[in-house]
Amino acid sequence: MLTGQRITLTATVVLLLVIGVAPILAMITASVMIDGKPSLVHYQALVSSRRAWALLGHSLTLSSLTALCGTVLGVLLGILLGKTDLPLRNLFVILFTLPLLLPPYLLAVAWSAALGREGWLSDLTGESRAAMSSDWLFGLPGCVLVLTTVFMPVAMLLTITYLKTVAPRLEEAGRLVARWPRVLSGITLPLIRPGLAWAALLIFLLAIGEFSVPMYLRYDVFPVEILTQFSAFYDFGAATAAAVPLALLTVALLVVEGRFLSPPRVRGFLGETEGSVIRLGAAHIGWLFGVGLLCVVLVIVPLGGLVLQAALADYVDALSRAGDSLFHSLLYAAIGATLLTLLGFFCGYLIHTHALRAWRWVDFLTLLLLVLPAPVIGMGLISLWNRSATDWIYGTPTMILLGYLAQYLALTSRTTAATLAQISASMDEAAAVTGAGWFRRLSMITVPLARPGLLAAWLVSYIFCLRDTGIAMLVYPPGHDTLPVRIFTLMANSPEGLVAALCVLMMTATCLPLAPLGLVMKRWSRVP
Amino acid sequence: MMAVGFQDVSKHYRERPAVTEFTLQVQPEERLVLLGPSGCGKTTVLRLLAGLGTPDRGQIDINGEVVAKDGRNLKGPEERNLGMVFQDLALWPHLTVRGNLEFGLKAQRVPAAERQKRVCETLELMQLQSYAEAWPAGLSGGQQQRVALARALVLQPRLLLMDEPLSSLDFELNLQLRHELLRLQGELGFTLIYVTHNLEEAFAIATCVAVMKAGRIARIGAVAPIRAHFEELLRRTAAMAPEQAVPGAFLLSGPACPP
Repeated sequence: MLTGQRITLTATVVLLLVIGVAPILAMITASVMIDGKPSLVHYQALVSSRRAWALLGHSLTLSSLTALCGTVLGVLLGILLGKTDLPLRNLFVILFTLPLLLPPYLLAVAWSAALGREGWLSDLTGESRAAMSSDWLFGLPGCVLVLTTVFMPVAMLLTITYLKTVAPRLEEAGRLVARWPRVLSGITLPLIRPGLAWAALLIFLLAIGEFSVPMYLRYDVFPVEILTQFSAFYDFGAATAAAVPLALLTVALLVVEGRFLSPPRVRGFLGETEGSVIRLGAAHIGWLFGVGLLCVVLVIVPLGGLVLQAALADYVDALSRAGDSLFHSLLYAAIGATLLTLLGFFCGYLIHTHALRAWRWVDFLTLLLLVLPAPVIGMGLISLWNRSATDWIYGTPTMILLGYLAQYLALTSRTTAATLAQISASMDEAAAVTGAGWFRRLSMITVPLARPGLLAAWLVSYIFCLRDTGIAMLVYPPGHDTLPVRIFTLMANSPEGLVAALCVLMMTATCLPLAPLGLVMKRWSRVP
Repeated sequence: MMAVGFQDVSKHYRERPAVTEFTLQVQPEERLVLLGPSGCGKTTVLRLLAGLGTPDRGQIDINGEVVAKDGRNLKGPEERNLGMVFQDLALWPHLTVRGNLEFGLKAQRVPAAERQKRVCETLELMQLQSYAEAWPAGLSGGQQQRVALARALVLQPRLLLMDEPLSSLDFELNLQLRHELLRLQGELGFTLIYVTHNLEEAFAIATCVAVMKAGRIARIGAVAPIRAHFEELLRRTAAMAPEQAVPGAFLLSGPACPP
């Protein structure tokens, strides 16, 4: 292999180890050390703690229910929006995806504003029903509702993506002898079963690490224990020990999943034919009504209610109290997304070309870091960088950027790998036979051809950096908090109108890049 | 009663016409080969007949029953009692050979005992008995072709559609499967509509050949006159100076044969 390519890709792997793996190892080391000596005291305390086991039970219950509801709903919507001729499909996809792009607790705030004791929906139903709906919301059912709404788009989008990878002929061959429901259950869904299992696991892992929603809706879960030990009891050792089980659970599930289900990689879309689209016919009005109603209930009612709750004065107040945080959010998200796109490009290139034997590890590690609970990554970063020798990093917003790089690298590396898979290998080979070196081929051929995909990677990572709460909350230096962190700290003791206005500001900042994202996706589908 | 009837059928893909005012009649137990260059609309005709596409205009009949008319499919693909072998075979990779054959029988609620009997008979007919539990990916190209044919025949269709099914095979295997196809058609008596761009394959299989060009039938007739016409055109083309010869022009020139 060419030296320039080998050096660049090796440097990429080393950077990934420093950014992503070293913090986790530092955290594990910190959890078994007391005053410089090895000790398992923190783990003994954790294992013997009834509360810890109860919290772990809560976490598993919540994430299992979320994965079940999110997958069932997501697959159904994925089929309806990705396989049928239902009107307004693209609009529904955008609307249902919206909650995934926002900080999760924002939906909890929105539902609380609607169904809480003094919520606007409760006002319509009377005091006793308001108390009932509030009791229902503040607990396990409310958490499942909110987290299902937030993470269901994962299953929906993956279903739509994997449906496009099924060869239309296979379904058409089925249609010659059977109706669509049997073709779906006997051919289409079994063919994408690994993808659906992956969607369920992904939702489970994302839900088990989520703390902001359960915290807001007062349902104690395990990740909250990490934050409690860290920020309430200032017990760093106990906090790291509490983070390790979540990390181990994530690794174990990913290993099992990779070994037995082999998550499918999207190598290209096979498109659709007239015969592979489900024609709803006269039933389309009923389906349209059903999907529309679901969209109103899950997305429009809570988020729309939030918009209506804030008055103009609240927006002025919100900007004056959190304008600097909004600026930090936009700035760090933009820098984070740029760095993620750059590092993700080389990781994606490595994963796509298998240029180094380490490509499998790079793929696995980036995925692992994506699904690791944010508090685990946050604790890892603190463990690694909170030393006098590295104070020049620890006391700066670099910590936030390192967190973004660690957690969201899979978004850009996988987008890059999928984009490169759409480009014919002969493009690079044709350039190579002219005598062009690797860097020249990369800059003149590969990158220009992959540009729409790279722009999509930038926008996706920008949105995820912008919505991040878990990492920023643990590692932000004084005076550099981001908007999601500021809202989270303000919402407990601030007027509802102000919180609503802050949430709307957050939504606006997130949604603004969606229009270019849509255009990029359209162009992306035309990449050769 | 005609096995298949097309009356003034047209189909566009976006702005591009695929089939234009297409009219065709096929007799029961006939072996009609649709012959023509790539993009002339052969596959579209098969897909419209199978119900995998909707005609913009015209009427399609199968065994005397109207299945599509005035821009609407009146019968779904599963209601047309036809079998189809696709160019890429479209064997379901997650089902065994038996599973591929049983899928349609289960969908049509054929009782288990009858299902087993028909699967065994079809596997025997296609000499695939020892591959019943094999996965499609583990079979050779010729065996996969046989499975695709077996899957189409297990439902005992009166009409079999084949879309260039032998195009990817080497000459020897192509020849062998052609013979098997003719044997099966003789034994089972189904009507066959076969799409190809290979002249030799067309003349070996057909009792009637329809030559297509730009979405229309340019010439239709029995094998002998069509073959004679092509041989004459080939002779003329060979005699031409290279700069005079227009590739593919021989398919359309000359007087039309009587149907």
